[in-house]
Amino acid sequence: MSTSSLPSGWLPEPTADAPERVLVALSGGVDSSVAAALLVEAGHEVVGVWMRLHDAADRVDGGRKSCCTLDAADDARRVADQLKIPFHIQNLEREFADAVLEPFIGSYLDGETPSPCVGCNTAVKFGALVGKGSALFGCDVVATGHYARRAVNVDGGSWRLRTAVDSEKDQTYFLHGLSSEAIARARFPLGGMTKAEVREVARARGLATAEKPESQEICFVPDGDYRSLLRARGWAPGVGEIVDEEGRVVGEHQGSSGFTVGQRRGLSVAADAPRYVSAVDPRTNRITIGRRESLERREIELTGAATPAGELPRGVILEGRARIRHRGVLAEGRLVSRGGGAATLELRDPLWAPSPGQTVVLYEGETLAAGGQIRAAVPSHA
Amino acid sequence: MSAARIFADHAAGSAVRPEVAQLLADLYREGIGNPNGGHAEARRSRAVLDEARATLADAHGVESRQITFTASASEALALALGSELRADGRLVTTATEHRGARALAQRHEAAGGTVHLIPVDAYGVWRLADFEAQGAVTLLTIASGELGVRQPLRDVAQVWGGDEGGALIFDGVQAAAASQLNFNELGATHLVIGSAKVEGPAGVAALISAPDRRLRSLVAGGGQERGRRGGTEAVPLAAAFARAYALMAEERDATTKHLAQLADAFDVALGDPAHHGLLATGPVDRALRLPGHRSYAADWALGDDLVAALDHAGLAVSTGSACISGSREPSEALAACGFSTAVSRGGIRISFGRTNQLEEAARAAAIVAETCARVRSRFAAGAPA
Repeated sequence: MSTSSLPSGWLPEPTADAPERVLVALSGGVDSSVAAALLVEAGHEVVGVWMRLHDAADRVDGGRKSCCTLDAADDARRVADQLKIPFHIQNLEREFADAVLEPFIGSYLDGETPSPCVGCNTAVKFGALVGKGSALFGCDVVATGHYARRAVNVDGGSWRLRTAVDSEKDQTYFLHGLSSEAIARARFPLGGMTKAEVREVARARGLATAEKPESQEICFVPDGDYRSLLRARGWAPGVGEIVDEEGRVVGEHQGSSGFTVGQRRGLSVAADAPRYVSAVDPRTNRITIGRRESLERREIELTGAATPAGELPRGVILEGRARIRHRGVLAEGRLVSRGGGAATLELRDPLWAPSPGQTVVLYEGETLAAGGQIRAAVPSHA
Repeated sequence: MSAARIFADHAAGSAVRPEVAQLLADLYREGIGNPNGGHAEARRSRAVLDEARATLADAHGVESRQITFTASASEALALALGSELRADGRLVTTATEHRGARALAQRHEAAGGTVHLIPVDAYGVWRLADFEAQGAVTLLTIASGELGVRQPLRDVAQVWGGDEGGALIFDGVQAAAASQLNFNELGATHLVIGSAKVEGPAGVAALISAPDRRLRSLVAGGGQERGRRGGTEAVPLAAAFARAYALMAEERDATTKHLAQLADAFDVALGDPAHHGLLATGPVDRALRLPGHRSYAADWALGDDLVAALDHAGLAVSTGSACISGSREPSEALAACGFSTAVSRGGIRISFGRTNQLEEAARAAAIVAETCARVRSRFAAGAPA
């Protein structure tokens, strides 16, 4: 199987043969600005929206790089003005709280490692926003500045995500929850471009956001400090034990929800070689640590395993390359479905430090064939 | 081919009248500048400012010296409250005040003062019975831009009962276009009036104060406005404000009639609001309603969503509870009328102005009907509100 091709039966997305009425989610960053500009230039009727997702929107960002502050809304508005497209602020706070914020907090408190961007893309941007765009503005499709492409089946009716041309920027990992119908209604104008090309387009058109730096942090976690978010939500960290893989107590910590599998920072234990968190147990407030190699896994149990067409039926086996982190290592393997969303990912080469809650995706060639969340991982030396 | 857009958000402020815009341009071109100087140019500027002040004084039955120009109605309100309200004082206001007044009240409460809210009935009309404001600083907005209520003023005097240690402050910004406001008949201690709601330029307003009141300036400056407000007077803006006000007052009766016709045409074309999933809010009694003003609420969409959808369909309206764009905060005014949280999030108002045509009113109703039908049917599936 080639790593840079479409699997048989899948075709590149066709270019729109007629102008569409497109809702563009403008974040106030350069990517979505250019996405909107390209759609306008291609003759589509474009409506710009900025999503108000949480109360960080009431702050100005003071030079920080988040997509969700008032400054970001102002930048989005300026770009819409430059492109001469209508611009509206859309409130999706409730949808965001239900689909992203609460699960994020619950996940950490359960000792997991959540992937909030996945829920946001699935339920908010390509979920609730699509509904609002259709109801309020008659827009049938939603475009974003994600680096991704689409592939359509020869049957003409089913869709998959396809990795972006710029593999450094590819964001299909975060989009894996999109159903075939959602992909059909999604537009990713930047999928065929590199970041450098996108910047060039923005500069050439004098877009207000052309020189804006990348935003990397989780938009609702200022300064990347999710622990203070947990504390604000009632998490009262307590001192707990750090144990090694033989179960010996080797130190203590200030609360298990402040740790995530694979973490090295914040472990105050003396050891001959670096130690990493290998398990987090919120019930006993205990974390387990081990050597780097002891976090390698060849077998990963999934929940919510699904393809864009829906939940994987029992007995289906998909071959491909899997990844457990955005831009993370790709490992050859196969996904074996047991039905009901349960599946086992069997890997030829191990992946390092998979953590419950994390998103797993499986690519077939350039297409994203399936995804799910890690439930548990079996130690590879077991 | 889409028809021309319709602007029906005049309660938020109208375009400047052409003759007022012309006056502004003339004054700027003439070089009207700082009125505080010993030369002919300054005297000319001073004369323009004096005339503007006299025009507004005449319109309200007061002396020129009772008028202080400010840069906004919010500033005029803050100037009045700051002059009258002690930190630990009692402020009486209503549950349906606009955001500017409410923010001042919240600040007063946060600083240790007390705030009492006069309740309203289901239509947003003050319930003054049993309320007692004697000795308090009382702030009343005569007409609400959100619910279109023109409050009955006859009972205010008996509730107020005199100014023993207190003050009666009226916000007349929204009311002025509908009713002549005579300062002494109102029994006011202070009255706020503004330019933007009478087809004048934004950026200028005024505080009218009883002659015995001393104002404590918010901005220390060079003694302008009799030491009540520091900062060089914006003479062309003041002149334009006065001209717009005078023109508005001259045409008030004719305009009121025209606005009533617009609202009637809108009502006829819209039919029963309930057919469109809308609940009429604000007073039903016409005597209590601002002319040309209609307000509704939906429990199936956010007010901001309806505003966006109507904007997209070519009709400019607003929620009337202006705040942070895209906020889900329910309107305090609608909540005070007793509406549920869902309804209080779904308020819109349509406010016609002098320049709207009858044809526009009917077309506006058609746009409201079509938009509500579309949004409602598509929201019915996912109920995103």
